[in-house]
Amino acid sequence: MRNISLIIRRVWKSAFMVTALSVLIVSGTQAQDAAAGRTIFKEKCTSCHALDRDLIGPALQTVVPTKSEAFLLKWINNAPALIASGDKEAIEASKFNPSAEMTAFPTLKPEDIKNILAYIKAGEPKKAGDAAAGAGASEEVSDFSLAGVVAVILISIAVLVILGRAIKMLERLILQKQGVVIVEEENLSMAAGVNRLFKNKKFVFFFILCLVISLGSWGWMGMWNTGVNTGYQPTQPIKFSHELHAGTNQIDCQYCHAGAFESRNATIPSLNVCMNCHKSVQARDSHDGNISPEIQKIYNALGYDADKMTYDKSKEKPIEWVQVHNLPDFAYFNHSQHVVVAEEAIRKEKGLKPNEPVCFACHGPVNTMEEIYQYSPLTMKWCINCHKDTKLEVKDNAFYTKIIAAHEKIKKGEKMTPAALGGLECGKCHY
Amino acid sequence: MESNKKYWKGLEEYNKTSDFVENNKNEFAEPLPIEDVLNEAGLSTVTPRRDFLKALGFGLGAVSLAACQPAPIHKSVPYLIKPEEVIPGVPNYYVSSFKGQSILVKTREGRPIKIEPNPNAGQFNCGTDAVAQASVLDLYDVSKLKAPVLKNEETTWSKVDAFVSAELAKAKASGKKIRIVSSSVYSPSTLAVVADFIAAYPTTKHVQYDAISYTGIIKANENSFGKAVIPKYNFHRADLVVSFGADFLGTWISGEEFTSQYIENRNYKTLAKGKMSRHFQFEAGMSLTGTNADTRVPVKLSEQGPALITLYNAITGANLAGGALPNNVTADKALKLVAKELVQQKGKALVVCGSNDVSTQILVNAINSAIGSYGTTIDLDNPSKRFSGNDAEFAEFQNEMNRGEVAAVFFLDSNPAYDVANAKAFTEGLAKVALKVSFSDRKDETASLCDVVATNQNYLESWGDANTYEGSYSIVQPTINPVFDSRQAEQSLLIWSNAPVKDYYQYVRNNWEKNILPVLGKTWNELLQNGVFAAAEKPAGTYTFSLSLAAVAPSVVSTSKSLAKDIELEIYETVAMRDGKHANNAFLQELPDPVSKVTWDNYVALAPKFAEEKGLKEFDLVEVKGSNGYAIILPVLIQPGQARGTASIALGYGRTKVGKAGDNVGKNAFPFLSFSNGTLQYATTVTISKTGGTYELAQTQTHHSFEGRDIIREASFAEYKKNPAAGLGKKEGGHKSYDLWDKYEKPGNNWVMAIDLNACTGCGSCIVACNVENNIPVVGRDEVRRRREMHWIRIDRYYSYEEGDKSVTEEKEIAHMENLDNVSVVHQPMLCQHCDHAPCETVCPVLATTHSSDGLNMMAYNRCVGTRYCANNCPYKVRRFNWFNYWNDSRFDNYLNNEFTQLVLNPDVTARSRGVMEKCSMCVQRIQAGKLQAKIEKRPLKDGDIKMACQEACSANAIIFGDANDPESEVSKALRSERIYYVLEEVNTQPGIGYMTKIRNTDSPKTIA
Repeated sequence: MRNISLIIRRVWKSAFMVTALSVLIVSGTQAQDAAAGRTIFKEKCTSCHALDRDLIGPALQTVVPTKSEAFLLKWINNAPALIASGDKEAIEASKFNPSAEMTAFPTLKPEDIKNILAYIKAGEPKKAGDAAAGAGASEEVSDFSLAGVVAVILISIAVLVILGRAIKMLERLILQKQGVVIVEEENLSMAAGVNRLFKNKKFVFFFILCLVISLGSWGWMGMWNTGVNTGYQPTQPIKFSHELHAGTNQIDCQYCHAGAFESRNATIPSLNVCMNCHKSVQARDSHDGNISPEIQKIYNALGYDADKMTYDKSKEKPIEWVQVHNLPDFAYFNHSQHVVVAEEAIRKEKGLKPNEPVCFACHGPVNTMEEIYQYSPLTMKWCINCHKDTKLEVKDNAFYTKIIAAHEKIKKGEKMTPAALGGLECGKCHY
Repeated sequence: MESNKKYWKGLEEYNKTSDFVENNKNEFAEPLPIEDVLNEAGLSTVTPRRDFLKALGFGLGAVSLAACQPAPIHKSVPYLIKPEEVIPGVPNYYVSSFKGQSILVKTREGRPIKIEPNPNAGQFNCGTDAVAQASVLDLYDVSKLKAPVLKNEETTWSKVDAFVSAELAKAKASGKKIRIVSSSVYSPSTLAVVADFIAAYPTTKHVQYDAISYTGIIKANENSFGKAVIPKYNFHRADLVVSFGADFLGTWISGEEFTSQYIENRNYKTLAKGKMSRHFQFEAGMSLTGTNADTRVPVKLSEQGPALITLYNAITGANLAGGALPNNVTADKALKLVAKELVQQKGKALVVCGSNDVSTQILVNAINSAIGSYGTTIDLDNPSKRFSGNDAEFAEFQNEMNRGEVAAVFFLDSNPAYDVANAKAFTEGLAKVALKVSFSDRKDETASLCDVVATNQNYLESWGDANTYEGSYSIVQPTINPVFDSRQAEQSLLIWSNAPVKDYYQYVRNNWEKNILPVLGKTWNELLQNGVFAAAEKPAGTYTFSLSLAAVAPSVVSTSKSLAKDIELEIYETVAMRDGKHANNAFLQELPDPVSKVTWDNYVALAPKFAEEKGLKEFDLVEVKGSNGYAIILPVLIQPGQARGTASIALGYGRTKVGKAGDNVGKNAFPFLSFSNGTLQYATTVTISKTGGTYELAQTQTHHSFEGRDIIREASFAEYKKNPAAGLGKKEGGHKSYDLWDKYEKPGNNWVMAIDLNACTGCGSCIVACNVENNIPVVGRDEVRRRREMHWIRIDRYYSYEEGDKSVTEEKEIAHMENLDNVSVVHQPMLCQHCDHAPCETVCPVLATTHSSDGLNMMAYNRCVGTRYCANNCPYKVRRFNWFNYWNDSRFDNYLNNEFTQLVLNPDVTARSRGVMEKCSMCVQRIQAGKLQAKIEKRPLKDGDIKMACQEACSANAIIFGDANDPESEVSKALRSERIYYVLEEVNTQPGIGYMTKIRNTDSPKTIA
């Protein structure tokens, strides 16, 4: 019965989806210019402007309707020139923020600007998800149905068991009626069987052997993996998504982790780096026009008031991230050594694609990690194996010229690995 | 191979006392109390067996449980707004200045962690002394006040300002005197601030006094040449230096600078040219300088005056009365020889004297004039500004207070309640002053008597400047934001005098841009980069002493005569403790005295023979009673080389209100000082009486003994000139050696060191530099007594002596026992030798110590299980065992046992844990960092890219480090010197550190004796 109602609902849902999509496509063709304008807007304008509120520039939906299209075409194309030409309206407009002049966009064609204006007028399009309001409900049904299936199976098993018992009972009753005396030997024979089994020395030996092997290997594995935290993914104070930043938005690792290229520490970026983008990127679209609560955490830490765009030093409260990659204090690791000096070598050894940053070699596919986790075991064995296998790429590094010349073995063609240059010696990392 | 001279570290070694023999049988003097714990009687001991087992079981369980935790939670807190110049993990360096030394402050993530000499300073780069190296620890001192104090309660600056301003207004209205009491101020900006303050309150006077006074020299120069200055001494121009009790390599005026000048004429490069200066020292107590002299003659304090008169008479042919040394024939003969040589070396000689007596210094001026020093080795036209204290002015200030004439007093960098001769007169007078303000950073002896403690900042938090010599200026710039609620004293004075510019940074900058930078032709930014600039020196004029000595000589004689009774007491500064201002610095407290090797205490030093006469033994407690009635009880230290009939006690000890580490360490000797002839006198007479008890000094001299093995090589300059390899004792053709072990390949770099024993003065600056760089813990007095000091580099001080032309050999030693006055000394820095065939490596059961392909003996702490076999097997005794977690144990509460002080730790070096062996790593973190820098810049490693912490600190450049595989490197050149030998090379450990023979420019001893 349930299944039938399910099927009906599914059919109904897909029918709805098809209709909704076709409606969208139709309306889409109508709003073609606004969509194109949205793309350009996101690319060029969002760092200073928002539709509905003041940023570095004014809230566009308030200010644009007050201006003529002719003025806007000139203004957006080259505002500094327009101001310089003495245009009164332009000078008036430039007073909004005397400390920041509107950037010139000479590459924008008039059609592009018109598209942008259309987008500003139309506003952010309603999402397809909102239209398909039933989608959420269907999710619920499917979950429920899964539970239902499990329940049905369980119930049927129970029924089978009960039925089986009932049949046995009935058979017995029939037999009793027939006057056959039944000895309860079944249970007795079970216990006796177990007893007999345990008196069998071979079996006991085999059993104990199995037990020892399994416990031993479990313990062995356990001990080897004590303190190895591959996959460690602590809860962070901010749900920062590397998938979004490094993956979708393709932000270079260096932009935030600049230290990795010049220091032993990769460094967690300070909040002024976050604010470079998040002063304007507030993800209001996906939070009903409110600032994303995660981005708000950055603002709170800095004592930043997003509406007034002011900082309050007295409200500053640093963010306490939880370190994911923990090396013991007695092991010295230097990011710049690996990322700058050994980049080529590591890329080759790990077979990284040209578009993948060298960081992936140890940190894994960070661009797909919603929340960051420890990808590599970070054990000494792991370090050593890489130092043994990786062939150094030293062609254009004058540091190595003399070193290579001095190494007889390397001259004879031995693979030039960090290990061959003494990279496995204790004192190279432990001091 | 054997040198025929006998060297010993202390009299207990010399005499082979049973204690010494017992303690030196084993590497670790104290056995572990294992038996007590394990046998049945152990049940009643502190840790009975059952408790032990319980603890063991609990520990095992706890460790297993702890291991179950999935991952440790380590918080990582980034900057909110990162300063542009800071990259976490990369050090920043700032130039600054400390007590006239131009320095570079290394900071990590905004906190200073190391002091290094400023390489841009040119002629002002003279290395750093131990105090400068240790000064970074003062910043992280928990004993400092966290806020200003008003009437014994912590308060806010606004309340302090209101109170002080009101009181000052009252003082001004009453017309009473206001006094600013400071130690010598040589900062032009501070002087300008004081001048502004005086302008605002015209009854103010700036009284400068120094705990260690140089008033005698200043007044003598005023008298002799009309210039009230300390001249600039040019030791590098002197081929002959004669010192009468001036410890110029250690504490006298500017030790590190004089060391670098003095060694210029004695190091391996100069010797290779066949030149070497000559140095005579006439002194009572054995000073650091005395240990380095070619010829050192013990002279009693009462004989110093007559000795100078003798010398003057001999040089000039004059006939001043009192020039006779009837009881010191050796000195008399030596003086005649010195006089002859001084005349020969006219214009290339220098005579200095440590006395603070004006007449004595006038006599020295006359001698220097006679030997043509002025204009060559002494420069009166570019004088030193470091000390300008005036003892008489301070005495007058005390009288003014006692007469009730002073309404307000400010103490800037001064602590008279502790360090003046007559502290009672001072404190009584101070009670009569209405407003008493101290600019101390802690409630020290004086500050606790004051109404207001306007907490000053550490120099690493401050702006400032220094004018060490006429025309040379250096900047002090802050390297960290003020840690506590403190304010620079200068800023406080500006606020109280209501100056137009109240921000001291702006004030300093204005002062420089207006008065100093135009003269130097430099900009402010250049100054902040370079740290020090000097205008062209004025030509040094020649001055001739033309006054009559008729009044001077009798004064010198009568001063000397007044000392010739009871026991003559010399009150001196030690290299580490100096005037006691840094007494709370645990690094300095634990730095063994260069001569006596005593840590954490002062003592009464007596000559061996003299002590015997008085029936005193080492460590006997004696009461020392001064002529003014002041008495203290101190242990006796038997000091070979001390003049008989004299005793020496160090200043700087006995602080009572300095902080956890320094309180009640030793006894205060300042009250022994006397004020006569217008200056403070550091010589006096005392009586000594035995009190009965004993007190064991924590003395490191016989720790890590070589058990009489032959490890010092020495030759006279005459022998050296004949044969540069003299004294090495190497046989023709060498000897055959057989290796048990395979040879290590060192294809890339081979890090080695050369140490010039002729340059090392033993000052100990390298020890502190190493401590700071490598996070070496301070262990405290009790642990030092148990031979557990952790220093990776130590300086072994060996005594030996020659009498006549017969060297003391082992067989003859007893016969010559009576004459331990004329000992000579060799300082030998001893650190891990990074042997190629290291005995420690072969015995480690867990391979925690191994050899690297670049010649280092590595120590993996995380691998070490603490068997201590390596230390037992090390012939150089350079391995140190961590008996405790010294940085996290309440029993060692005087140093690192708090989070604040732990900020001084170098983040690139592991803080070792209990149960782990450690030793010199050849600053492997610096080697690795230097290599990485070259790799990143894609260039070959250059000689000099990497410097060891000890090497950098050394004023004498006695330590040379580099790559032996580079034939052009400094160290390769040094190691090719004929003077090179390796310690215990006969054992064939193949050490990586070569030593150069000690060369003494002695005459054939017959000439003197």
